[in-house]
Amino acid sequence: MNRAAILWRVASILVAAGFIAAWQLIANLHLVSPVFLPGPDRAWAALVRGFSSGDLASKLFGTLEHMAYGWLAASIAGIALGALIGSSRMMRAYVAPSLEFLRPLPVSAIIPVAIAMLGLTQGMALFVIAFGAIWPIMLATIHGFAAVEPRLYEVARSLQMSRAAIIGKIALPSALPDILAGMRLSLTVALILSVVCEILAGLDGLGQWVLLSARAFRSADLFAGVILLGATGYLTSIAVSLVEQRLLAWQAAAR
Amino acid sequence: MSVVARIIEARAARRQKTLIAFNAATLRLGGKTIIENLDLEVRPGEFLCIVGASGCGKTTALRLAAGLYRPTSGAVTFDGEEITEPRREVAIVFQDYGKALLPWRTAAGNISLALEASRVPARERSARIEALLRKVGLPGHADKYPTEMSGGMQQRLQIARCLAQEPTTLLMDEPFGALDAMTRQGLQDEVLSLTQASQTTVVFVTHDLDEAIYLGDRVVGLLPHPGRIGIELDVDLPRPRDQLATREHPEFLRLRRQLFDFIKASEH
Ligand SMILES: Nc1ncnc2c1ncn2[C@@H]1O[C@H](COP(=O)(O)OP(=O)(O)OP(=O)(O)O)[C@@H](O)[C@H]1O
Ligand SMILES: [Mg+2]
Repeated sequence: MNRAAILWRVASILVAAGFIAAWQLIANLHLVSPVFLPGPDRAWAALVRGFSSGDLASKLFGTLEHMAYGWLAASIAGIALGALIGSSRMMRAYVAPSLEFLRPLPVSAIIPVAIAMLGLTQGMALFVIAFGAIWPIMLATIHGFAAVEPRLYEVARSLQMSRAAIIGKIALPSALPDILAGMRLSLTVALILSVVCEILAGLDGLGQWVLLSARAFRSADLFAGVILLGATGYLTSIAVSLVEQRLLAWQAAAR
Repeated sequence: MSVVARIIEARAARRQKTLIAFNAATLRLGGKTIIENLDLEVRPGEFLCIVGASGCGKTTALRLAAGLYRPTSGAVTFDGEEITEPRREVAIVFQDYGKALLPWRTAAGNISLALEASRVPARERSARIEALLRKVGLPGHADKYPTEMSGGMQQRLQIARCLAQEPTTLLMDEPFGALDAMTRQGLQDEVLSLTQASQTTVVFVTHDLDEAIYLGDRVVGLLPHPGRIGIELDVDLPRPRDQLATREHPEFLRLRRQLFDFIKASEH
């Protein structure tokens, strides 16, 4: 890391510390009633308590599980469909308008439909999360497959590569930067929808923890849950970025 | 008849055979006739250069020979067989090397693509790759990505990948068009030494008349709108060619003059 990068890192830590200090100050001065706003000290204590009793850990795993299954399902389906649509000009022409209609549809609008069809079940949650998370991945994959350099297909033809080899060695790696960017975006969507489904369907997870804490006016527990959700979003996103950097090391060479 | 005479005669007979033949080939694209009634024969082992004004159909003719296009009427044949698809013994060197290489694969990986396609076992590949890199003057660059290489190096890499196909025929479309003069001359000599030794047939498209005469056994000039043959010249210059001596040869200058006049006339 160079000097500038270290300075930025230090600055961002200072800003975060400033936020926490301000939060503590507001809580200490009782600017907001402690019933609604615990200080960071109380939130932290609740976090530690939650984990030592084992309750919070199981909720965290519940949310991670919902998120992971939904995201993986969305990734597999999104990449497969995106590849199918993106690699054929005809498919793009026929399917793209329907996608443009479906895409801006808020996922919350399909939750009642999903509940009516599947009930308040894990299956419903999986469907809703996957349905919401599939869009960024599928659209990015379509774009990635459509943007493959045509010259490379000619190289593949002149080498008489098989269809499977063309997809695996030319199209997929070429579309990979787009696909990974889409997957990173949809990770956030999957987390949000996991929480929403847990709240609506009472499924085991941080969503439920947050809801129950709020209902019981346990604001410290509530904040512990929210902090954990923030950390989950942040850390999973970093994890995907690291994988991305590894897989796309060749792009760094280009810069 | 002496043995030597018989060998010479056999060689002459083989030279007269045709490897690639355009028989009244016509190609229409988007309602426009781009190539019309093209008759052209490429002999096995020869170095044929195609020149012509910009937009006269050189690239299109090469793509027909490659099997990337099929003629609207007439035929293009390889060894007497109609060309319907690209074939592995015919390798194509594209002008835009930057687009023809896989940016996510290293130099070794790019060559490996051709070896994988020809089902060369994995354990044989690295030795073959190393030999090919050495052959095109890129030893020690196996782990570089194309974006880390200069234009000349990238074109060398593309040529190495084509050689990995073990082609009997190389189709080259202005392969050195984007390179500076010095790099260009170096690569000209390398291509000559690589192809003359293995008797590879080469069809070489260029808009550089000097380059065409310097490299070729024969130079064909195309006329535009629609593309057809306008001039055909045999190049009787001694081999191996030499960047200085060949270019000062009276025959070189005579051919150059003739081609120059042709191109000039064809532009009106
Ligand atoms: N796919 C296509 N559809 C319609 N017209 C085309 C197509 N490809 C080429 N042409 C036209 O055919 C003509 C010949 O093109 P071609 O690329 O073969 O020329 P060229 O001799 O290689 O030119 P240059 O020296 O500029 O590379 C041009 O007028 C071009 O506009
Ligand atoms: Mg051209």
